[in-house]
Amino acid sequence: MKTAPAREPVDASALRELRAIVGADHVRHADGDVTAYARDATPLFHARPDAVVHPASTEEVAAVLRLAGARSIPVVPRGAGSNLCSGTVPLAGGIVLVLTRLDRILEVSGDELLAVCQPGVTCAALADAAAARGLLYAPDPGSRSVATIGGTVATCAGGLRGLKYGVTRNYVLGTETVLATGEVIRTGGRLWKDVAGYDLTRLLTGSEGTLGVITEVTLALLPAPAAGGNGLAYFPGLADAGRAVAAIIAAGIVPATLEFLDAKCVEAVERFAGLGLRRDAGALLIFGDDGEPAAVARQLDRMAELCLAAGAIEATVAGRAAESEALLAARRCTLPALSRLGSITILEDAGVPRPQIPAMVGHIDAIAERYDLTIATFGHAGDGNLHPTCVVDAGDDEAVERAHLAFAEIFRTAMRLGGTITGEHGVGAAKLPYLAERLGTAQVDLLRRIKAAFDPAGVLNPGKVGS
Amino acid sequence: MTGFTPDLLNRCISCGFCLPACPTYALTKDETSSPRGRINLMRALEEGSLPADDLRLGEEASFCLGCRACETVCPAGVRYGALLEEWRDRQWQGAARPPVVRLLMFAVNARWRVRLMGLLRRHARTPDRPAGPHLMLGCFERALFPRVSRAALRLLPELAVPAAQGCCGALHAHNGDSERGRALAAELGRRLPGVIVTTSGGCAAHLADVLGRDRVKELSEYVTGRPAAGPPPEPPATDDAGPAPLPARPLRIALQDSCHLRNGLGVWREPRALLERIGEYVELPSAGTCCGAAGSYALVRPRDSRRVLDAKLDEIEAAGLDCVAVVNPGCHRQLDQGLRRRKSAVRAVHLAELLAGPIDHLEAAPRPTNR
Repeated sequence: MKTAPAREPVDASALRELRAIVGADHVRHADGDVTAYARDATPLFHARPDAVVHPASTEEVAAVLRLAGARSIPVVPRGAGSNLCSGTVPLAGGIVLVLTRLDRILEVSGDELLAVCQPGVTCAALADAAAARGLLYAPDPGSRSVATIGGTVATCAGGLRGLKYGVTRNYVLGTETVLATGEVIRTGGRLWKDVAGYDLTRLLTGSEGTLGVITEVTLALLPAPAAGGNGLAYFPGLADAGRAVAAIIAAGIVPATLEFLDAKCVEAVERFAGLGLRRDAGALLIFGDDGEPAAVARQLDRMAELCLAAGAIEATVAGRAAESEALLAARRCTLPALSRLGSITILEDAGVPRPQIPAMVGHIDAIAERYDLTIATFGHAGDGNLHPTCVVDAGDDEAVERAHLAFAEIFRTAMRLGGTITGEHGVGAAKLPYLAERLGTAQVDLLRRIKAAFDPAGVLNPGKVGS
Repeated sequence: MTGFTPDLLNRCISCGFCLPACPTYALTKDETSSPRGRINLMRALEEGSLPADDLRLGEEASFCLGCRACETVCPAGVRYGALLEEWRDRQWQGAARPPVVRLLMFAVNARWRVRLMGLLRRHARTPDRPAGPHLMLGCFERALFPRVSRAALRLLPELAVPAAQGCCGALHAHNGDSERGRALAAELGRRLPGVIVTTSGGCAAHLADVLGRDRVKELSEYVTGRPAAGPPPEPPATDDAGPAPLPARPLRIALQDSCHLRNGLGVWREPRALLERIGEYVELPSAGTCCGAAGSYALVRPRDSRRVLDAKLDEIEAAGLDCVAVVNPGCHRQLDQGLRRRKSAVRAVHLAELLAGPIDHLEAAPRPTNR
């Protein structure tokens, strides 16, 4: 059963009704007004919507969805558009429903260890509000300064702290969600233990705007760790780094951070930022932990020892917070460094079981060579989430085509090694062609039936996961 | 008609990291008023999928402050300021250029007119000397705030100040005439050989762009980096002649960064370090974000300019300051007018004046009073 994508254009009478719902200033439809909403952070995908609507309340969102359902107009919910899987590109036209005006933090509760906020709040703003109360909002995506809570819940975003702290879904206690029919439901709530009914909160987390529009989120917070620190180790090759990761986990350590850069990334970072990294190494591992200061220091020393035992050329532990930040800088400037190498930067996302990381990076290198492309790989060694990143020139259509073919092979290789096509970016339209291979046809059919139950008219984000 | 340099336009990877840095996006929460959104408009213009007379395209070309805060957070290193200049070169030809800007550009296009602006008010001037370093007299600064140049010269008597200098062309470059902007800067560079010291962040950034970074020093940069640096400036005397004594405690001073100085040239530590020497320095949360003056923006779009300014004035008033230091005439005028409009006791004072000692203009204006 396939949901037929809705494709009615937004005509003059629909625009009139939209203006009546949200106010004339918050409905835009001229070409120049909708151009900015033709893209998100995904390269190579763009499509202009017919209209852009900026609602300011749950009621307005519900009224827009009722209208869209009645007229079969596609609706794509959007936060800051930092999405990397084309999840917020309106491929079928229609309305882009922008939720950035819903940007209030409604509550931060130390007693209950939770926060309630609207979807347009940025991750960084929530993390700051929590930190001001001595609390931690653990999900830490690289785009936290811009990414909205609504968007990170809708994509189940991850980040640098995945192994120890999990991803966004581990923190969503409840949502207020507007269904495609315009009905407003509240899933979950404020309780850590609450098992009444199917877990729709988890289903909506990562649903990428295809099942409902999230208008409020209740998120779990943790007490902020007292201290944090990082260390860095160079290895002759990724296989050695892989052995070090295995040894760290086997020793019973669950690090907060365990990030790796391949030799191509190290070279690019050094050329861009000149941080003084060793260019003769085959791989770089950044390890970090947080908690009580003495425990952090002990864990960092043990991790450095385990790295050396696994064959590291050199392992250093930062003595001060400033040094620790300097070590993380290498990881933080990987994307800027790589993006300087060409004009299109395809930052991809695949996952493999942790022991397969060295093999996977080897396969990626071989594929890149075969397709004559520059693909550097970095990622989260702790949770097996890799970011092979391809850099090509915008004018070179033929190279872009080769990049598509190379990534198809990379995703299939990840699955063959027992991994997945996306660890934290989401499926969107970009990964949809591989979804049946990952989940099997029976499961994809089930996803479509679930989608149809939530969105009978098929108006919510057509052409994406669930379609 | 000029086009966009492909390397500049293709640099943007659409990641959206610029959104939280953009003051106009903060006002509207609409991506079209963000750097990424505007670059998408430029791309549509370049591809021909939007006509040059598209209303929103024109609106956004003027709504952007040009503060370049986006450049400081961009992972891909997009040179947004350069793109904006190319955009306005295309968008603001002839009658499409805002009339106020046309008037200003006319005023500074000929050296004699610039000189006349200065002659209306008394400003610093020494006979021509052959070698630098030279003090550049910003053309609007010499008309609006002649005391700033005088203070700079009192502070740095070694600087030569030829009277017939002309305009640096920043106004042209930011308003759709890059070619003339570059020509004027090059001409000024010939007139003032050697290092050029300026009290205007906006002029400094444009001059550095054309003449090279090593030939241009903003005042604070020059003072901190002077090889024969004298003793640090003394705190302004509290017992100098004047109708009312200054407070008998250190001045509480905040700084308003000049966007082009901070984001374009990366100069922001130096003025702070100097202010810390002469008073109690207070860092305002929004010190590094645009005040809304943005060159001619305050004249072209007064309403938007005030919207950007308002939150900043609230901050200034809440901080219990004696004065806000500025390093650019546009910011100077913007804050001065904003504070006066609110009948605030806080004054906007140029860094040069604060460093040069007795604050002569405060004799005319009411002295900063205690909170």
